Amino acid sequence: MRAQRMRRTPLSVILGLLFLSMAATSKCLGKYHELLLQLRRQADHMQDTSTLLDPYIRIQGLDTPGLKERCRECPRAFPSEDALRGLSRQGFLRTLNATLGLVLHRLTALYQDLPEAQQLVGLNIRGFRSNIHCMSLLLRSSSEAETPEPTQPGPGPTPPPTPPSDAFQHKLKSCRFLRGYHCFMHSVGQVLREWGESRSRSRSRRHSPRRAPGDTAPSGPCRGGARRMWPFRRDRRLMPRGHLPR
Amino acid sequence: MALFAVFQTTFLLALLPLRTYESEVLSEPLPLTPESLKVSVNSTRQCLHLQWTVHSLAYHQELKMVFQIQISRFKTSNVIWVENYRTTVKRNRVLHWSWESKLPLECAAHFIRMRSMVDDARIPKPGFWSNWSSWEEADAQNSLGRDPLFVFPKDKLVEEGSNVTICYVSRIHQDNISCYLEGVQIYGEQLDRSVSAFELKNVSFIRKKGTNVFCKVDQGGALGGIVLFVSKVLEEPKDFSCETQDLKTLTCTWDPGSDTGLSKQPSQSYTLFESFSGKKTLCKHRNWCNWQVAQDSQETYNFTLVAENYLRKRSVSILFNLTQRVHPMTPYKLFPKNVGATNATMTWKVHSIGNNSTLLCQLELLAEGKVIQQHNVSIKVNGEYLLSELEPDTEYVARVRCAYTNHFWKWSELISQKFNTAEAAPSEAPDVWRNMKMVSGHPTPLSKVHANGKILFYNVIVENLDKPSRLEVLSIPAPARSTELTLSQCSYQIHVTAHNNVGPSPASVIVISGGPGNEEVESGRVNGTEDGFSVSWKPQSGDATGYVVEWCDGPQDLPCVLQWKNLGPNTTSTVISSGAFRPGVRYNFRIYEISAKRMAHLLETKAGYLEELAPSDNPQVVMSNLTSHSFTLSWKDYSTESQPGFIQGYHVYLKTKAGEHCPPAFEKTVLPEDSVCCRHTIDNPEQKTFVVENLQPESIYEFFVTPYTSVGEGPLDAFTKITTPDEYSHILIRIILPMIFCVLIVMIICYLKRQWLKEKCYPDIPDPYKSSVLSLIKSKENPHLTIMNVNDCVPDAIEVINKPEGSKIQFLGTRKSLTETEFTKPAYIYLLPTEKNYSGPGPCICFENFTYNQAASDFASCGHFPVTPQAPPHQLGPLTSPENLLKALEQNYMNSLGEIPAGEANLNYVSQLASPTSGDKDSLPTNPPEPALCSEYKMQMAIPLGLASAPPSENSSLSSTTLLGQGEHYC
Repeated sequence: MRAQRMRRTPLSVILGLLFLSMAATSKCLGKYHELLLQLRRQADHMQDTSTLLDPYIRIQGLDTPGLKERCRECPRAFPSEDALRGLSRQGFLRTLNATLGLVLHRLTALYQDLPEAQQLVGLNIRGFRSNIHCMSLLLRSSSEAETPEPTQPGPGPTPPPTPPSDAFQHKLKSCRFLRGYHCFMHSVGQVLREWGESRSRSRSRRHSPRRAPGDTAPSGPCRGGARRMWPFRRDRRLMPRGHLPR
Repeated sequence: MALFAVFQTTFLLALLPLRTYESEVLSEPLPLTPESLKVSVNSTRQCLHLQWTVHSLAYHQELKMVFQIQISRFKTSNVIWVENYRTTVKRNRVLHWSWESKLPLECAAHFIRMRSMVDDARIPKPGFWSNWSSWEEADAQNSLGRDPLFVFPKDKLVEEGSNVTICYVSRIHQDNISCYLEGVQIYGEQLDRSVSAFELKNVSFIRKKGTNVFCKVDQGGALGGIVLFVSKVLEEPKDFSCETQDLKTLTCTWDPGSDTGLSKQPSQSYTLFESFSGKKTLCKHRNWCNWQVAQDSQETYNFTLVAENYLRKRSVSILFNLTQRVHPMTPYKLFPKNVGATNATMTWKVHSIGNNSTLLCQLELLAEGKVIQQHNVSIKVNGEYLLSELEPDTEYVARVRCAYTNHFWKWSELISQKFNTAEAAPSEAPDVWRNMKMVSGHPTPLSKVHANGKILFYNVIVENLDKPSRLEVLSIPAPARSTELTLSQCSYQIHVTAHNNVGPSPASVIVISGGPGNEEVESGRVNGTEDGFSVSWKPQSGDATGYVVEWCDGPQDLPCVLQWKNLGPNTTSTVISSGAFRPGVRYNFRIYEISAKRMAHLLETKAGYLEELAPSDNPQVVMSNLTSHSFTLSWKDYSTESQPGFIQGYHVYLKTKAGEHCPPAFEKTVLPEDSVCCRHTIDNPEQKTFVVENLQPESIYEFFVTPYTSVGEGPLDAFTKITTPDEYSHILIRIILPMIFCVLIVMIICYLKRQWLKEKCYPDIPDPYKSSVLSLIKSKENPHLTIMNVNDCVPDAIEVINKPEGSKIQFLGTRKSLTETEFTKPAYIYLLPTEKNYSGPGPCICFENFTYNQAASDFASCGHFPVTPQAPPHQLGPLTSPENLLKALEQNYMNSLGEIPAGEANLNYVSQLASPTSGDKDSLPTNPPEPALCSEYKMQMAIPLGLASAPPSENSSLSSTTLLGQGEHYC
């Protein structure tokens, strides 16, 4: 387990630094598909519980029968996968950006509990948000006439949590929050993967959606939930001209 | 009503001073009841806090009182605590008292009441208690939320080893609630219908994030829990000390021990307090802290270091004088200056301490890691010292450290610097020796002490002493250690010098004699010790200028790496030591005497082992001369020189089959595998043969020969088995062999003289027709006398009796009387005389050179012949004539001899009767021969039994049939 984490650590650092540098230089990838692929891979990496939840459970001593199960519950603090599918692409990106902003804030509060992991995950989230920003710019350039859509009105991310009443409740809440974060990133990965399927569908409508080889979604931290086959209402309209698949 | 109240108050106020006055005057105790009792709960500290006043005191009056406090749990009647609290009471002064509950206060309602009593010495009479105050309830459960299950105390911080009581409050009133400490179920005591308590004893530190304790309703119900923060016990700082490097700043250090930091509690803090100045500073580090020395020249300091966390405080103090705690900084800029071949000057600097302070610096010189010089130098800022007596071309390390001169406290850290001295010409001649067999010179490299620099080459000058001629000069580049010189049978003087960059060394001279040098010298042994070989010798001449001991470093079977040691003229012993010496290797030392002419003469040779070992292998033993009582063992190829120890002798082991008695000269011994055998010890290593005697004939023996040294004998190998021969076998061989030889000679002679033997032993049967006797008889006695011819014999009659009626044999011959005859039993053929008037005793059948069956003759005297019915007629037919019968007999006889093995043939002798009157068929009936005449045998022939009595089977041989067929005839 420790060796696995050690292998992942350099990758996380490299990815984080890469995305940070991209954000710092404000240079966005001009190609839609490359950006989408990056977002997908980042989402896949961020849904991995070994980056945050597993070390938290271990450090807090919650890996005992009776407590571990309490960490498996996915809280409703994050938008569900169905809710994310119901959003337009711009709305999805705005919701994603806002949610990750709150996650980042909450992770800062968890710094005392997970100093190393929190730092790495923070870098990843910042890099991911940078790519969200670029994707948003890319979509906006192709649909300037589009009416701005409000952020997803559903449950959404909760406001910054109030100070926990006691350490035990704080542990459980933080544990569930981290579980919810990984679940949320799993849902994000699924939705982003369907963005790629929409490309295939637009190329050949006769073909059913199919994932590209090597683009297999990893098993996520949350179970259940049916996926919609065609999520976006204005999919074609949101395609950037000259970049999006025709 | 209001008027009444005002009146009453006024009355009481007027009465109170009066009562007070009376009490002072009368010294009577008054019941002063505690009033305004308030109870509050401190959940963090799990304390009940009480505050109250005593209003009934006079103004400015102070009384010592005792308050008895009762605490009940769950209900007022369940008193769990009673305590008397003594304090001084003033009018309107609020009194406080706290009580820490072991059981979390949230788990149970508590009730408190108190009463008081004056306990003042000024009131001599014993007091009495006031009335109890009313019960005050402290119930923390009221502040709980709506959760179904609560566990307390929340986030409690305790030290490792403490006992903690936890409890849960259930609002669902279920019994199936289980509690766990770090996943392990714990069991407690039910205090109430909805409250249970658990006592955790001697809790231990698990993690900084706290120990998780939780309770849950079984099967995934409600969950409640707490985190118990167990801190390690704060330790007293160890090794607390302070020192200064510059008299301006003090640095205090200590060993902090365990970190007591938790999520609930930061790590312990350290505060440095100086009592004389009254200053203190909060240390930023866990194990050291800086203190600025005051400018008012404070010399003495008393520091107290306080370690503190939420639970405990620890402190340690030291008192010292500042000037006695000076630890100078490390010197710097240490360099060598003016480095020569034998001296060098070292310079360095130090940081100044105060004004005009002097430092004592220690300069050490190291060569090859060892301190060879040490000098103390007092300096202020710059240090300098001349190092002398150095070796040329040598690497040295100089290092310096300094201490405060006024009061030594500690040396500073060391500063080191390497340097090399310059080269000089080699100071000593190279050590040269020669190997006469190789005719080569071996200059050993000069030691570093004498080389004084890197040796570049050696000059070898060869001078022929017998034939003065020009010198031969060889230059051998280093690092070569030897050179080969081809010399004639003359005497030579060889000069060897070593050269480095600076110049040559003094010459080393050896003289090689022109003689053969194969003189016989005394040999001896030398014992090895841990230090080496102690070699001694006897000087021969008084003019020796020195001695040389030479040896080979390696084993004998490896090429010799020649080593030697030069010794002075007065030396007669030395210890030869070498790291190459190994146990179990034989080393040969040769001691030479060096004459005044620098010629070497061999004095002695010595051999020895650094440590003798047991032989590693056994000799190959050859067995010979095996007799019934002895055999000889020999192992002449066994080399005693190459063994790992001096061979002292041999052990001959002998195993007998019986294992009971050993031959003489053997003794019984037990082998390592616990088998018993016989052993004979040969104590002469040069005796490599042994005769094992006094053995038993035809016995199995096993032998085994192993050498032994002072350490032990060789490895136990397999025994060789032999069997002693029979005692008389050699005698038999001596007899039988000549006999066989003689028989062979006789056989050869007989073969060569077979004709002569034939004539002598079995001459040919004489032909009666050619016999001279016959002519003599004819002429003198009976002119009609002749030889009976077989052809003249005619059978007289054949009578067949006992004719069987079983099987029928078809005869194909012409004899009708037999062709239709069937036989089941043997038929007997009687030969009857044809003459009717014959009345002799019986027929006598006379044959001339004829054969008959002896078995047949047993049935009846010359009368009855058994005939087998299997005789085929075609064979019978021709035999009816005497010629055919004779031919058939001869033929079958010869065939039978050839076909039947000699061993299977039973010989029947067939008699031959010579008829005295044969030859005349007419006279035969008339002159029957007398039986007495029948006893004359003319010839006997051996016929196999099979021929004579063949079984009655269809496969009967031709010979038997033929023979039986003859039974049908007589003459």
